[in-house]
Amino acid sequence: MKFIIQLTAIVIVAFILELFMPWWCIAIAAFAAGYALKSKVNFLAGFLGIALLWLIKVWILDATASAPFAEKVAGIFSLNKALLMLVTALIGGLVGGFAAMSGAALKKEKRSDFYHPQ
Amino acid sequence: MRNFRFFVSFAITVILIVLLNTSWQLGATRIPPLGKFLDPFHGFWQNIEPARLAGPKEIQITGLKDKVTVVYDSLLIPHIFANNDEDLYIAQGYVTAIHRLWQMEFQTHAAAGRLSEILGAGPEGRILNYDRGQRRLGLGYGATHSLEMMQKDATMRMVAEKYTEGINQYISTLDYKNLPFEYKLLDYTPENWTTLKCALLLKSMAQTLNMGDKDMEMTNALKLFGKETLDLLYPDRELSVDPIVDNPGGWKFNPIKLDSVPMAVPDELISIQKLPGSDPTVGSNNWAVAGSKTATGSPILCGDPHLNLSLPSIWYTIQLHAPGVNSMGVSLPGAPGIIIGFNDSIAWSVTNAQRDLVDWFKITYQDSKKDKYKLDDQWVDTKKVIEQFKVRGSEVFSDTVIYTQWGPVVYDETFRSEDELKNYAFRWIAHDASQELLTFFKLNRAKNHAGYMEALDHYGSPAQNFVFASVSGDIAMRIQGKYPARRKDEGKFVLDGNKSSNGWQAYIPNDQSVMYKNPKRGFVSSANQHPADSTYPYYITSTSFEAYRNRRINSVLSESSNIKVEDMVKLQGDNFNLKASECVPILLSYIEEATLEDTARNFVATVKAWDFFNTETSEGASYFEAWWTELMPMIWDEMNNDKVMLERPTSYTTIKLLKEKPDLSFFDIQCTPEKETAREIVQKSLSLAVKKITRWKKDHQAEEVPWAEYKDSYIGHLLRLEPLNVKVKHGGNGSIVNAHSRTNGPSWRMIVSLEKTGVKTWAVYPGGQSGNPGSYFYDNLIARWVADQHYRLMFIRSAEEAGTQALYSTELNPDSK
Repeated sequence: MKFIIQLTAIVIVAFILELFMPWWCIAIAAFAAGYALKSKVNFLAGFLGIALLWLIKVWILDATASAPFAEKVAGIFSLNKALLMLVTALIGGLVGGFAAMSGAALKKEKRSDFYHPQ
Repeated sequence: MRNFRFFVSFAITVILIVLLNTSWQLGATRIPPLGKFLDPFHGFWQNIEPARLAGPKEIQITGLKDKVTVVYDSLLIPHIFANNDEDLYIAQGYVTAIHRLWQMEFQTHAAAGRLSEILGAGPEGRILNYDRGQRRLGLGYGATHSLEMMQKDATMRMVAEKYTEGINQYISTLDYKNLPFEYKLLDYTPENWTTLKCALLLKSMAQTLNMGDKDMEMTNALKLFGKETLDLLYPDRELSVDPIVDNPGGWKFNPIKLDSVPMAVPDELISIQKLPGSDPTVGSNNWAVAGSKTATGSPILCGDPHLNLSLPSIWYTIQLHAPGVNSMGVSLPGAPGIIIGFNDSIAWSVTNAQRDLVDWFKITYQDSKKDKYKLDDQWVDTKKVIEQFKVRGSEVFSDTVIYTQWGPVVYDETFRSEDELKNYAFRWIAHDASQELLTFFKLNRAKNHAGYMEALDHYGSPAQNFVFASVSGDIAMRIQGKYPARRKDEGKFVLDGNKSSNGWQAYIPNDQSVMYKNPKRGFVSSANQHPADSTYPYYITSTSFEAYRNRRINSVLSESSNIKVEDMVKLQGDNFNLKASECVPILLSYIEEATLEDTARNFVATVKAWDFFNTETSEGASYFEAWWTELMPMIWDEMNNDKVMLERPTSYTTIKLLKEKPDLSFFDIQCTPEKETAREIVQKSLSLAVKKITRWKKDHQAEEVPWAEYKDSYIGHLLRLEPLNVKVKHGGNGSIVNAHSRTNGPSWRMIVSLEKTGVKTWAVYPGGQSGNPGSYFYDNLIARWVADQHYRLMFIRSAEEAGTQALYSTELNPDSK
């Protein structure tokens, strides 16, 4: 459950930040959610959150396109369209994953303090 | 432990972001900053234009005096309605930049020799060398002269400054998200536009069209082959000629007489890796038929300029409307006004005027310091200009270019010439100031023939054949440009730069240009052929004159009457191969069919049965073209000389020699022991062509060889990125009216019917209005261009008139700031 909340938060916050800030704002979103909504699998949440957001956005842009442009750009990098979309998601995902992981690592775990009072 | 984990993961995150925010040079390719580039919210994905396109309803623009309305029609052609000229050109600059900013900047960088700033030095320094060539040819030098003249004239200054303002207003709205795709791919940003760039763009057009010469090649040919052979291989006037203006005895003026100074030709062989000049296969057609020959009784004017086809498209279609002007047609992105088009009263189009406007002068330096050179028995100071190249990813490169009174010394031991003793200065008409902008400003507003003549009086370069027709019923042709008045054979060879009398002494006065109005035959036409009959009193020479398209056009027009727009569409797309029709019978006369093997016999049979039309499906066309491309280099193997530059004679002359002088020594293949004549060379080239076609069939696993497949033409993106090119299956070829070769062709086709009830225009071009490869409008017109299906252009008198034909409209409002 915590993971789902964290994931959702990353998608929403990253989406909002992307409207105002350059691409690396995804790291801020993932970092914040890693810190504030820490789960057991922070990297996965960060990775999936950004990868999903980017993949969905890319899919919408491509589906409503007036010209087969993604294919052409993929061609410039010797890829096909599907691979280019996956590479896009992967790159966003990696940044999101590590950012979420760093956010989580920054946070002291209150519960562990509780169990080990010394 | 926790601190350590934070530190490591945080460091990885930061490093990832930095790496993905940086572009990398990998060999010849630049990898864009991947995170930035692939981000779907800002990166290249944002350049994908949605199918439902709508622009902003309103834009605030600083500097506007009044409201401007821009209506886009279904082809994304903007129709600009302004209340004064200043606003009109601000809007033209702004709107053009919306669709073509990257192209405009890239082309002017190319003209100025600044591509290495964007692309780096390139593999083997090719891009840097290209830039050096541009600077050494003096494009910037010429543009600066034009700019000085532009600034002295109130109209030109206003037009250029307002247009520039509009472009810069658009640039100031840009952030990474809405940058054109190519900036993102190459990771750089646009710089401000300047009026100098407008001048540079026009000079680069002059380079495309008016920079051809074969002076060095002719000098070598004269030395190697002698005068008699030279005149045989490279005649000034070919016999077929059907000149643009055929007016024998009608040249009633006193030409400028020059003291006939013998032209001192340095007696030497020249070996230089010459920079490419204007492509001789780039040509154009235009014609106008008088009302007496048309179905409506009104003149029809047609034009199709042929250029190297590229994307984003060379032309940008636009309508400009303000008090005193209502003009539509194509503009060059980067230059204000309309270059080819029409208004409520007249229409005009251009083809290139073939004329030698380039000379090379041999320079004698005093010593190796090159501070002084010899001129009229005195030592005169040179001027050294240090050109700086801010090569991307590398140090600034400096190149010293020496200027003489003739112009820049293009080739020296540091650039494309091994011999430090041989230095040639370059004199080119486009080095001079010229006022094209004023011509187009006036032409856009001209009401009649007198207005057209007055506008052309300002026109200098690149020299063009301006066809004209008016609603009032006139048709005309004028070959306008700044032309040196040449003495016999002047400009054909490299000249002695030690004598100032060898330079251009005078220019042909405007009223002595080749021109005529309303000729008896009821039409005017031009297709890059010789401009005038032999009684025209000035000596004319050129790299080449087109020999075929003009004769085909003239024969069709002479035979036509009751001409309709459909007939003109058909003529623009005409695929009749006049060259082949004259050549094939001669080739076949040298073939003995009985001695041929089966494949060769079938090959010959196909050529024999061919109707001489290069249609898309024609197989005979493929066979003939394959044969011809084997034949030419085999005949002129003498011209393939590594040490000495030479040029092949024209197709026309080659065919004539094949027929009339079969024993000419040039038909002998140098590397074979036996002696060939025309007969053997035709037979040998046939067997090579048969092999080539057989291989093509095997490679393509095809039984037939349709011409469009064999030609395999494409329209390439300016960056030469293969995936952004568009493949085109189309008939035609160079020397055919439908002059679409593999990469060159009609870049705009226009037909204007100048009816009293209103001017009607049909047009199409191989590309689209948008320069964005992520737009439907990048290449949407190509299919109908291939099919010869012109669009009827929307030409309106007010924004409201567009009604439902409008895609959307935008109001440009003055910004109070």
